[in-house]
Amino acid sequence: MDSRPAFVGASTGAFVAATSSKSAVCVRFNGLRRDAVLPAGQAAASGAASVTMGGNIREMRERISTVKNTEKITEAMRLVSAAKVRRAQDAVLKTRPFSETLQKVLGGLIKRLKADAVELPLLAERTVNKVVLVVISGDRGLCGSYNNYIIKKTEARIKELKAEGLEVELVCVGTKANTYFRRRETPIRQFFNCPQAPSAENASSITDELLAEYLSGEVDRIELLYTRFVSLISCEASIRTLLPLSPSGLETEGDEIFQLTSVGGQFVVKSETVPVAEAEDFPSDMIFEQEPLQILNAILPLYLNGQLLRTLQESVASELASRMSAMSSASDNAKDLGKSLSKEMNRARQAAITQDLMEIIAGSSA
Amino acid sequence: MTLNIRIIAPDRTVWDAEAQEIILPSSTGQLGILTGHAPLLTALDIGVMRVRVDKEWMPIVLLGGFAEIENNQLTILVNGAEEASQIDLSEAEKNLDTATQLLSDASSNKEKIEATQKIRKARARVQAATAATS
Repeated sequence: MDSRPAFVGASTGAFVAATSSKSAVCVRFNGLRRDAVLPAGQAAASGAASVTMGGNIREMRERISTVKNTEKITEAMRLVSAAKVRRAQDAVLKTRPFSETLQKVLGGLIKRLKADAVELPLLAERTVNKVVLVVISGDRGLCGSYNNYIIKKTEARIKELKAEGLEVELVCVGTKANTYFRRRETPIRQFFNCPQAPSAENASSITDELLAEYLSGEVDRIELLYTRFVSLISCEASIRTLLPLSPSGLETEGDEIFQLTSVGGQFVVKSETVPVAEAEDFPSDMIFEQEPLQILNAILPLYLNGQLLRTLQESVASELASRMSAMSSASDNAKDLGKSLSKEMNRARQAAITQDLMEIIAGSSA
Repeated sequence: MTLNIRIIAPDRTVWDAEAQEIILPSSTGQLGILTGHAPLLTALDIGVMRVRVDKEWMPIVLLGGFAEIENNQLTILVNGAEEASQIDLSEAEKNLDTATQLLSDASSNKEKIEATQKIRKARARVQAATAATS
């Protein structure tokens, strides 16, 4: 890989030397790239005769090398994102023991409590005046329309809620959403960075904030806008209500797990739906150290935390997948561009050689 | 006979080992568990859990959650857990001071809730670190 750019450099160097030694020859640049004009070429440009081709070829050669460099960068970014997607998946798998146990106990408690559970502050529906939207976007760009989609979705949701006469405020996760909404009218309550590998601490710092807002009565509903990971080439901006929790939603939600594998050298995502863990039947002599309702109250923040971590992970996976496809199409483009440029350059080079030959033949016959 | 303990945080399994005795920071007070305990479900506060392996007591900070005991299998689900050996005592004390300051400055309901939460976490860390160093 290393020998290639060095070779290109050496050949252009030789070319520069050749043109500047013939100071009578004028090299005209066609202005493909102004910054590529070298001082040696400018010095040579003061001559009398004019050959268009030479400068053109050198300029093209430079363009080809920049295109190739760009291709290398985008290709590297693609591979890095692919590796990160895989790591993101491992992280999702690691959350399984937690969510499974939680679901079991939660299901058991809800079965035992039945309708009483509705009285808990986190489950109770109250009249909504103010809604907080938690927007999960990325910290970085170069990932196709990932950030754009989630911002558009948020804009649409804000409009909807405002039409209902509700107050809307935002909690932004990720700098991209923050820089966009900072200059717009919807107030931002809080801003968090979007971690590259979301951890439980990241999630709980956000849930703590949201719980404090909700329990203090400042906010009556919290909705989450995130990007659902459908496959490597398709992600979907989605909305879900985080608070108040609905007791029926706690029991019924299944989990989808994605696994990145390679089939025939291509990355492929396999998704499998994991059924909800069965509600646990507590033994009849089970001691409840506190009232079951109180225990449920202590478990719900855990559930929230798990949910938020999950959506963070999913959004990050979507971001990486978008970056992967954006970068792979960028490399494809660079490859095409490089091909057509080198074709053009060869044509120009051949034309110059033909012209030289013609001149020599004409000279010898004269 | 030993107790089999699993501490699970949302993103990983923090601890999976055996112990002889543990004391849990339940939301209604400290709760000691020995082997052969009856099935029990309890909510946990933010606080310090102590685990006895042979003759050694080990403090672990738990950031709220719940614990379930059945057949000598103790499953603890928490928002987060920290081993005392990883906590810097002086820093924990400093954090506790700033959190206390925050509470006295708090004016709105939400700020109060946040500050109280911070104080409880900081206090648990200080407790665990002191227990580990003494």
